[in-house]
Amino acid sequence: MKHIFLGLCLLFSTILFAQETFSIRGTIKDVKNGETLLGASVFLKGTTNGAVTNEYGFFSITAPKGTYTLIISYLGYEEMSQDIILDTDQTLNIEIKELSTQLDEIVIIAEESERMNIKKPQMSVSKLNASTIKQIPAVLGEVDVIKSIQMLPGVTNNGEGTAGFNVRGGAADQNLVLLDEAIIYNTSHFFGFFSVFNADAIKDIKLYKGDIPAKFGGRVSSVLDVRQKDGNSKNFGLSGGIGLISSRLTAESPLFKDKGSFLIAGRTSYAHLFMPAIKDVKDDKISFYDLNLKTNYEINKNNRVYLSGYFGRDIFDISKVVKNRYGNTSGNLRWNHVFNDKLFSNLSLIYSKYDYQVVLDFVKLDWIADIKNYNLKYDFGYYVNNKLKLDFGLSGILYNLNPGEVKPTSESSPINYLKLEQKRAFESGLYVSAEHKLTDKLTAQYGLRYSRFSRLGGQNVMNYVGNQPVVYNNDLGIYEEGEESGETFYKKNESIKTFNNFEPRLGLSYQLNQSSSIKASYTKSSQYLHLLSNTSAVTPLDVWAPSGKYIKPQLSNQYAIGYYKNFNDNKYSLEVETYYKTVKNRIDYVDGSDLIGTNTIETEILNGKARAYGLEVLLRKNKGNFTGWLAYTLSKSEQKTLGGNAGGPGINKGKWYNTPYDRTHDISLTGIYKLNNKWSFSGNLVYQTGRPVTYPNGQYEYEGLSVASYSGRNEDRLPDYHRLDISAIYKPNRRPDKQWKGEWVFGLYNVYNRKNAASVSFRQNDESGKNEALRTAIFGLIPSITYNFKF
Amino acid sequence: MKTIIKIVVLFTLVLVSSCEDVIDVNVPTANPRLVIEASLDWEKGTAGNNQTIKLSTSTPYFDTTVNNEVTGALVKVTNAITNDEYNFIDQNDGTYTITNFVPIINDSYVLEVIYNGETYTATETLKSVSEINRVEQSIEGGFDDEVLDVSIFWDDPAGQENYYLIKFKEQGDLLPILEDQSDEFSNGNEMDDFFEKDREDDDDQNEFNPGDVVDISLYGISERYYNYIRLLIEQYDSGGDPFSSNSAEIRGNCINTTNAQNYAFGYFRLSEFDTVNYIFE
Repeated sequence: MKHIFLGLCLLFSTILFAQETFSIRGTIKDVKNGETLLGASVFLKGTTNGAVTNEYGFFSITAPKGTYTLIISYLGYEEMSQDIILDTDQTLNIEIKELSTQLDEIVIIAEESERMNIKKPQMSVSKLNASTIKQIPAVLGEVDVIKSIQMLPGVTNNGEGTAGFNVRGGAADQNLVLLDEAIIYNTSHFFGFFSVFNADAIKDIKLYKGDIPAKFGGRVSSVLDVRQKDGNSKNFGLSGGIGLISSRLTAESPLFKDKGSFLIAGRTSYAHLFMPAIKDVKDDKISFYDLNLKTNYEINKNNRVYLSGYFGRDIFDISKVVKNRYGNTSGNLRWNHVFNDKLFSNLSLIYSKYDYQVVLDFVKLDWIADIKNYNLKYDFGYYVNNKLKLDFGLSGILYNLNPGEVKPTSESSPINYLKLEQKRAFESGLYVSAEHKLTDKLTAQYGLRYSRFSRLGGQNVMNYVGNQPVVYNNDLGIYEEGEESGETFYKKNESIKTFNNFEPRLGLSYQLNQSSSIKASYTKSSQYLHLLSNTSAVTPLDVWAPSGKYIKPQLSNQYAIGYYKNFNDNKYSLEVETYYKTVKNRIDYVDGSDLIGTNTIETEILNGKARAYGLEVLLRKNKGNFTGWLAYTLSKSEQKTLGGNAGGPGINKGKWYNTPYDRTHDISLTGIYKLNNKWSFSGNLVYQTGRPVTYPNGQYEYEGLSVASYSGRNEDRLPDYHRLDISAIYKPNRRPDKQWKGEWVFGLYNVYNRKNAASVSFRQNDESGKNEALRTAIFGLIPSITYNFKF
Repeated sequence: MKTIIKIVVLFTLVLVSSCEDVIDVNVPTANPRLVIEASLDWEKGTAGNNQTIKLSTSTPYFDTTVNNEVTGALVKVTNAITNDEYNFIDQNDGTYTITNFVPIINDSYVLEVIYNGETYTATETLKSVSEINRVEQSIEGGFDDEVLDVSIFWDDPAGQENYYLIKFKEQGDLLPILEDQSDEFSNGNEMDDFFEKDREDDDDQNEFNPGDVVDISLYGISERYYNYIRLLIEQYDSGGDPFSSNSAEIRGNCINTTNAQNYAFGYFRLSEFDTVNYIFE
């Protein structure tokens, strides 16, 4: 025992106090606009000592005393080197220059800069930056962050015009979407046609499909980390664009004598301006807008504060009878503090809210619901030495949910006022994670997250006979609401139910040679909030529900292994990953459930499980006039929901059934070709297995109607989905002295005008009385034109 | 409620979308099942003695040759309180009728059907309904402010849960339109339901015009039947669209006591109803 203890002490002392070492720390920025660069690689030439900049462009390297050449590289930027004499701790703020010839070159990198990526244990991550996203052809020319990530392996959505996205067979509510760390509850404008992220205000996005770092928690499928630009800290700049759907304007400028900067970006659709002139839609008003704001101030070299905000809104007024408003609001105040050369910290105070309102004039009803949260978060990065980096921190989130308030719109309305029980919860997290270089070839990333979720009182909770909110009626073969046995009131300071979970995260990377590596990872995560949706597509009106007495948290385990190779002088890269994921306590809805306007959601749900597995291949060409990638995913995503306490066989007779996000094959090919300085072209080709659906297996006459009967859930499929899009970017002659820079983007969406089925519905023709299948296709061939400018 | 929300979404979709067309789809075919349409409906102000029960079998979804009447079955209804038995007479065309049925509000009734050596049973309570107070036509109501719509109004009894089925049919139309309502958000108030037809550019006869005649009936129904008919209506109106809930087999209340797996489609319902006939002005 003594020996072990001694050994441990020795081990730690070698890690911590090996020989006389010094640190270099600093920030990497773009020389042109002062934007901090995330994921730039910094290393000491001739050693294995290096670091990658964090979300704030910060890095720290520790090395023995000596003379070195520091190399800074970032794809799309000129490599820079600087000689340093390391005999004292020092701060270096370095600005690097974008490659001018590659100004528009595609920049997609699986993880960080090429030189480092295959060594880092982090896997299952996809990164796109704004310039890439802008080159992918988009429907109606409306640049879309969420649609672009669907071009990468493992990411799909439920069809055109539906909200959200699905990662590795997971549901849309299993994605944690963060905009500058603030939770975004609904990622879509216009019921799913466009995303809420204005690409002009976005620096880059990172999607963790698995191997989720311990600092993130709260969702079981993925984390989409979207970072806004800081704003140009060198010059005042104005940029914008005019498209078919929306117009954008962004202003950025240095502030406080170059100690800070700000960015303000607005985007609004403008179709509603013309609608009054068109007879059919003169009473309709459909529009959306959003506003992004970010500003930062450098107090001194160790302290910097950031303030960022987002406000977005969708407005639908239809024939004066339906009014619908919804949108996200978020704000984040951050304080970056560097304690010393090795310890970096960030404290964030974050607010987010999603709310919607529906006014239905024809039933004289006004419906309001919202979810909001306050989040306090403190994160640390400790660069122990060149072999070990620690991340640790804690976070607390207070949720307030208003699942619905119903008001009559007038005196004569038949509607009674009703306010559903307000729900409150507190989610806290504590994590520590290490990136540890075990040998020259083997690096590990291991961590543990502890999460705790308390459903707070201040509300009534229904009780049921036998503690069974759902009961199987054996005779009729259906699930019915359990028998209520009175309510219990929980006081505000009481906890209704508390959950605790330990979530280990582990990643390993082993470098096979200079250009290839294998990685493996394991992630456990838990999710305490659930989006209640019994439809196959998410709608903005779906309600979020917290875990509690009857709804358990979802728990997932994901295992993944991957092979990564760069070849042809890093011109090409190949990533192959395979994963297996299970989710416990995935709720599903009994047939015929009605989820809106009820305090007793528990009477409509059963507790099930889900599993997904697949193979993802991504082959990229990273350099040259022609760049692009081929993504292929082979996967399976299923659910099984047994009767459990409620009795009975469960959903789909207790058998596994396809989730609506199951896609056997998913292929995307994206290419961007730069012809010359004036013209560049891009295209993408998508092919997907059709979405699982339930088709009728018979008909019978009832009440004079032909009624369909249905068999197993999601046993059939829509026809396969495929589509080709192309676009061209034209940049008129630019004189270098001219401030104004403009470009035209011409696009053709769905070039061969395939009528891809967004849905196939079944109906009885009301004239012939015959049954028929009706296909709804959303987008046919759609041309678009957009003008972008920079000033 | 979900229905209402769905309307919002569908409205939006219709505005932005595009194209709908009828396509050929291969659908699976299940074995036929017995369909029991046992709707014992008692019109206010009548004796309710004449009742009909229909038996048929289900057919493949796209089949148009309908020859699926069920004859030779034994059909009996018993009042579970009074034990009065009513034997329905086979008309050899799929209908079974009786002329001396006695409806009693809130009494429980049991249906028994014996067919092909298997016995099907169902139990249900006869529900009452309020009178239709009035019928009004207007332009402003409904979705479209340019076409005529018609509404019925009735008083919802306070202090209890009530469920309604409303059946509209314009004379000359092939198919009726069914709607369901509960007093979840409007308990004890005067409730209403409106009916409107879309304007179609190529056909100005589609919308309501002065002189059009509609029959509107309001049925009082049980909660369980409400759950059944709500699902049936939802699936009938929008089976398959991505904003409706997952389509699934709808189970009625007719149990096969001989072979549980071979349950019947349809429902044994007992309702009081009020009906009006309205001519557009």
